[in-house]
Amino acid sequence: MNPLFGFQLRRVARNKQFVFFTVLLPALFTIFLTKIIGGQMPGVAERQEVSASIMVSMMAYGAIGASLGATIRISFDRASGWLRQLRVTPVPQTQVFAVDVAVGVLLALPSLLVVALVGRFVNGVQLPVGTWLALLAVLWAGSAAFVALGLLVGLSLDEKAAGGAIGILGVVLAALGGLWWPVEMLPEAMRGLAYTLPSYWYAELGRGVAAGGWPAAGAVLAMAGFTAAFGLIAVSVARRRPLHAVAG
Amino acid sequence: MHSAPALEIRGLTVRYGDAVAVDDLDLTIPRGQTVALLGPNGAGKSTTVNAVLGLLTPAAGEMRVLGRDPRAAVRAGSVGAMLQHGGLPSEARVGEVLHLVRRSFGRAGGDGTWPLADLVATAGIAGLLDRPVDALSGGQRQRVLLALALVGAPPLLLLDEPTSAMDVEARRAFWTTMRGLAGRGHTVVFATHHLDEADAVADRVVVVAGGRVVADGTAAEIKAGVGGRTVSFTAAPERRFDDVPGVTGVTWQGSTVRLATIDADATLRALLADGGLPDLEVRGASLEDAVLSLIPTRRQTTIGATR
Repeated sequence: MNPLFGFQLRRVARNKQFVFFTVLLPALFTIFLTKIIGGQMPGVAERQEVSASIMVSMMAYGAIGASLGATIRISFDRASGWLRQLRVTPVPQTQVFAVDVAVGVLLALPSLLVVALVGRFVNGVQLPVGTWLALLAVLWAGSAAFVALGLLVGLSLDEKAAGGAIGILGVVLAALGGLWWPVEMLPEAMRGLAYTLPSYWYAELGRGVAAGGWPAAGAVLAMAGFTAAFGLIAVSVARRRPLHAVAG
Repeated sequence: MHSAPALEIRGLTVRYGDAVAVDDLDLTIPRGQTVALLGPNGAGKSTTVNAVLGLLTPAAGEMRVLGRDPRAAVRAGSVGAMLQHGGLPSEARVGEVLHLVRRSFGRAGGDGTWPLADLVATAGIAGLLDRPVDALSGGQRQRVLLALALVGAPPLLLLDEPTSAMDVEARRAFWTTMRGLAGRGHTVVFATHHLDEADAVADRVVVVAGGRVVADGTAAEIKAGVGGRTVSFTAAPERRFDDVPGVTGVTWQGSTVRLATIDADATLRALLADGGLPDLEVRGASLEDAVLSLIPTRRQTTIGATR
């Protein structure tokens, strides 16, 4: 394993807030929401559908938080002078960037897995094995968009703003993107806003698969578009403002 | 490659916007020397160090570090650096950071790494390896940053104001370490504005002002080059000395006045004609006097920020 990769992974895993917000909280929400909303459903089939939908939303919520949280941290490493320090060691700059991408991608997985396990064994969501695997795979792949967004935000904002952005982005993406409640519950005007958010399309990606089909082409296209756009802007910001620059 | 000087800078010019931080600077440092870059804040010392490390892109000039391009030299593990704006990562332990940097030097295939026990003693970080970085004091951080500069046993060390966060004792220990390194054949280049450090540690002092080298030699040569004297005595505070022949600078310490003069003879004659000189002392220029006389004061204010 690349030494820098192991090093970065340990640092994030050590952060208790990170573990709480990306694994524990989504898992608790999954149980809680299913009990409240699922409990109101008259039939078994409806209850199944609602449980699966909440599970997918919370998988998305956890993975978004993890991907953003792991990558926005690049702003802290710049502010502390650590990136500058690394720049005067033999560690290549491209590796610093690549490792943060890899850490963000990898850390989306625990959120997805834990919420899926809670959905299956606590809430009794029943899906064929192939569907479980496909669901994990599409949501894991889709998290790339939020890794790119996290890097973009982490590279653009200074330490304080980036720290705030982790929480605010997570809440806005979840609340307005229909992860905490269905988009149908939002007023008409806000529903239109949801369709412009990557979080909505990300959950759609999962819902299509959980329903036993292919993810909707619209969701796939939207996620590919968001990933490419965030990635390109992140790279252009990194070019304009090198990782080792102190400020400005 | 092994015959190339540790550092070769030709025509280095760095601008920050309209401000010229380094102005057509030339400097060659052979291997094995211990060199102080001396000058006031904003003289261009940090900018020069950062340019040599490849941290900024100069407007003009050529730099070779041990015969290589600056970035290539850093990648090859030939350079260890202590930066003014360097830092340590949060949520990590000192030992982990050290291990990471040590492995990067090992992979780069440098001359080898420093034995850990020796490094810990040399950098003065005993007992800190298991400590979280966030729990270090300022002085401890500085010593860990020094350990990171040394861990790869690089042939060239570039230290930008390395002792700025150290107390007197730590400072003394630090320079003992540096002398030891120089003794082992390392090239040590450090930027400082502490004249006593330059005087005590460096084989060679390069005085930088206004982004240029204004003097270059041993501390003794630089002192001698000024040829001035300092005349000090007790005087009434309302007395003015600006018009006394030979005087180039006046400083007061309580009721003692110190006059820097380029013609001690003429100065003393004029002063004696004007009255008595209680507690008179006449001595050769200190390195401080020498440096102050070399630095064109008007230009200092025009130099931009050091990044």
